[in-house]
Amino acid sequence: MTSPEKTKVKTINRLKSMYALRAEVDKMYAAGEDATATGKPVAWVMLGQWAEPILTAMDVISIYPENYGSVCAAGGKAAPYLEISDAEGFPSHVCGYARNCFGYSAKMKELGGVIPPEAPMGGMPRPNLLVASSEICDARFKWFQALGRYFDAPIWTIESPYPGLRESIEPGTDERSVKFLISQLREFVTFLEQLFGRKINWDKLDEVARGLAGINRLRWEINRARCAHPGPMHSKDLWSSITAAFFRGSESKAILDGFGKMLEEVKQRAETGVSALNVPEKFRLSFDGLPPWHSLDIFDKLAARGWNFVIESNYRPYTPNNIDLSKYADPLERYVRERFQSTNNILDVEYEPEEAASIRDEIKRTGNSTILQIKHVRDCQCDGMVIHILLSCRSASLPLPAMQQKAQDLLKVPALVLEGDMVNASLFDPAEVLKKAEAFEETMSYYKQLRKEAGMPW
Amino acid sequence: MTTSTLHGLAQAAAVSRDRAQRVLELKSGGKKIFGYLCIYPVLEMLTAFDIVPFRLFGDINEPVTKANNYLPTVVCPFIRSYLDLGLKGRYDFLDGIITSHICDVGAGVPAIWNYAVKTKFTYHIDTPHTMRESAQEYHRHLMDSFRASLEEYTGRKLEPAKLVEAVKKHNEQRALVRALYDLKKPDPPLVSGAETIRVIKAVQSLPVDEGNALLREVIDEVKARSTGPAKKAGRLMIWGSILDNTLLVEMIESLDANVVMDDTCVGSRPFFNDVKITPDPLDGLAAHYLNHIKCPRTFTTDYFAHQKDHVSDLKRRYGYLGDYARDWKVNGVILEALKYCDTHGYEVPSVKDYFQEIDLPTIYLEHDYTPGMIAPLKTRVQGFLEIIA
Ligand code: SF4
Ligand code: SF4
Repeated sequence: MTSPEKTKVKTINRLKSMYALRAEVDKMYAAGEDATATGKPVAWVMLGQWAEPILTAMDVISIYPENYGSVCAAGGKAAPYLEISDAEGFPSHVCGYARNCFGYSAKMKELGGVIPPEAPMGGMPRPNLLVASSEICDARFKWFQALGRYFDAPIWTIESPYPGLRESIEPGTDERSVKFLISQLREFVTFLEQLFGRKINWDKLDEVARGLAGINRLRWEINRARCAHPGPMHSKDLWSSITAAFFRGSESKAILDGFGKMLEEVKQRAETGVSALNVPEKFRLSFDGLPPWHSLDIFDKLAARGWNFVIESNYRPYTPNNIDLSKYADPLERYVRERFQSTNNILDVEYEPEEAASIRDEIKRTGNSTILQIKHVRDCQCDGMVIHILLSCRSASLPLPAMQQKAQDLLKVPALVLEGDMVNASLFDPAEVLKKAEAFEETMSYYKQLRKEAGMPW
Repeated sequence: MTTSTLHGLAQAAAVSRDRAQRVLELKSGGKKIFGYLCIYPVLEMLTAFDIVPFRLFGDINEPVTKANNYLPTVVCPFIRSYLDLGLKGRYDFLDGIITSHICDVGAGVPAIWNYAVKTKFTYHIDTPHTMRESAQEYHRHLMDSFRASLEEYTGRKLEPAKLVEAVKKHNEQRALVRALYDLKKPDPPLVSGAETIRVIKAVQSLPVDEGNALLREVIDEVKARSTGPAKKAGRLMIWGSILDNTLLVEMIESLDANVVMDDTCVGSRPFFNDVKITPDPLDGLAAHYLNHIKCPRTFTTDYFAHQKDHVSDLKRRYGYLGDYARDWKVNGVILEALKYCDTHGYEVPSVKDYFQEIDLPTIYLEHDYTPGMIAPLKTRVQGFLEIIA
């Protein structure tokens, strides 16, 4: 099976614990193949994870076309699907993962519903249900709605409340959002029970939800340990394991074990001063935006220059909610309350009380916070950020320039801006990136001096 | 010449050119002016608090320079232009800004605005994307929060009677706009597509009473004049992203076509359904702003359907467009979307499928919110009109 990395240059000291997690991506597509054989219903699902535990508790297999986009991109197989999407009339600037999926679906329809023979990893089986989501981006529901041209599968959209920053800390907002989530997930369960003519297994939901929460907490602890000097875990290891964390929740026991081992390995490296690079760490960087899946070997080349990508702003675990779940008898409510992410909880858990109070005050006064989006850069004492503006993803690209401004103003940390796409390899020029990187080293050194003059800790 | 000495279409043209002139006068007389982005903020509530709603637009003729530091080039060029104007001080006169969760960019830009531009009062309504019961309830609660924030801002309690009065006035505005659109049904239409955009822009720059007075004058003038648009081969409808300027429509109308109908947001979209007056007026407003504005930012489907077929789905989502086409005797449809507008971009193949089902030809135009877009699009529209003819 194809793996997301094309080359194995030894400048990066990969975590051993990553390999077992990376292998999980193969199992996801194997589960899809099994579903076809056993007649189990298949749902195409948008990442966001509200859906998967519920679908698992309904004995429905979840397949993620979004992940399939990165699989096709990493295997160099996306281009023909992108071309079909263009020919179908979809604008070329819409999400690359969606374009990949439109091309794939159009091909599948043309073949009478069977998996296109050239599809990597055995392909995605035809969906019995589409579960869209308004969480994170518009593409997540507009894309699945547009799939109606290719499949007559019923469609459901899971909503996610998204209050403005100032409104998010107003009294009552969190409770209103939690109630909205619970009531619409209840609607979803009712819909599924009627659709499939069977009852949900609430114990299974509890089990998967607990497992997911456990995975998230481990990832959260891993990220905290990653701020050690030298950085013990490279972003490539995060990207290789992310499929397991996001897309294999139904197999939470194996994944929990995998991330438990990863935490041990990262902590041990941090304690013993083992670096994620096999060369001296010269620059510590944050990667902001979605990675160029088609060109991940660029990071090995950057590692050779001593660039250690110690943290990222995308694919971050959510801040765990430290609440007593035994108070809630309803499994759906437990599930929502445990996973619900709020500004209040982030402030309470991630910040010292004094700083949290001053951020709350800033948000109330200005409707904005300078530090919230760039705290990872401060925590990990980064020398620079690499910002990847993606032609086809509004959601990931939108905040990046403002983050760049904030990091520069507040932390005196500069950013290198790259333009490209997570799927379309033709928009990314590795030679150009290396040229820019060389020049950026001087900028990082200059800003290091500025930080020193300002008495900053790194 | 001040806009107040002009009347009807001439006044609409003047206000749409110099949009802030009237609200600045009002502001100097002590009125509060709130900008609003897109058509989902609840205007009736502002009117009820005696705040003048002022629609926020970009400026296609102003190159984006300052916004580049805060927004990437790969997002909606209209929003980039709007932020750029903010950074250049063009919206400094506003006392507040109301935004809503229109789309990713519309939801993300308020925090950036607050960081980079800083308007004294801002409020963001997290309008849901579905219309199921859970979303209705959530949206209804948001109305309460919005009310509470305005009460805090003004130091006054909302008076239900004033809100009902505001709903009536805004409904009157909706009815007047529909009456104006009725004047586009004859062949030739009595009012052009470009004139319509100017009138709507003007109305969205004035307090509701003044907007209504202007609409009445325009309707009377249009009915009485003998110098309206000429009869042309193309009777077109435009569907798509925001058109807050007349360039595209003027180009089309310089050819052998009249734009007789639209489904755009500086056009029919905010006006084609009334707000129901309910015992608690917030109920009617919550229902209207979630359910009755037809924009692809909301996910419309038969929510609990176990089976779906594409053609029925198309009818449910776009049947109203078929009604428009029939009632305005449309013979071709222009689908337009701003580059990077995902909300409309994803819809394009399905909308095309729908019009194909009802045998109406379509053309898709993507544009980038610059005056330079017009020349290349003109050749394509010419070709399209030849097909229709
Ligand atoms: S977040 Fe970006 S990459 Fe992911 S589905 Fe949305 S548009 Fe596509
Ligand atoms: S034009 Fe499209 S992208 Fe721009 S604000 Fe409107 S819906 Fe959003």
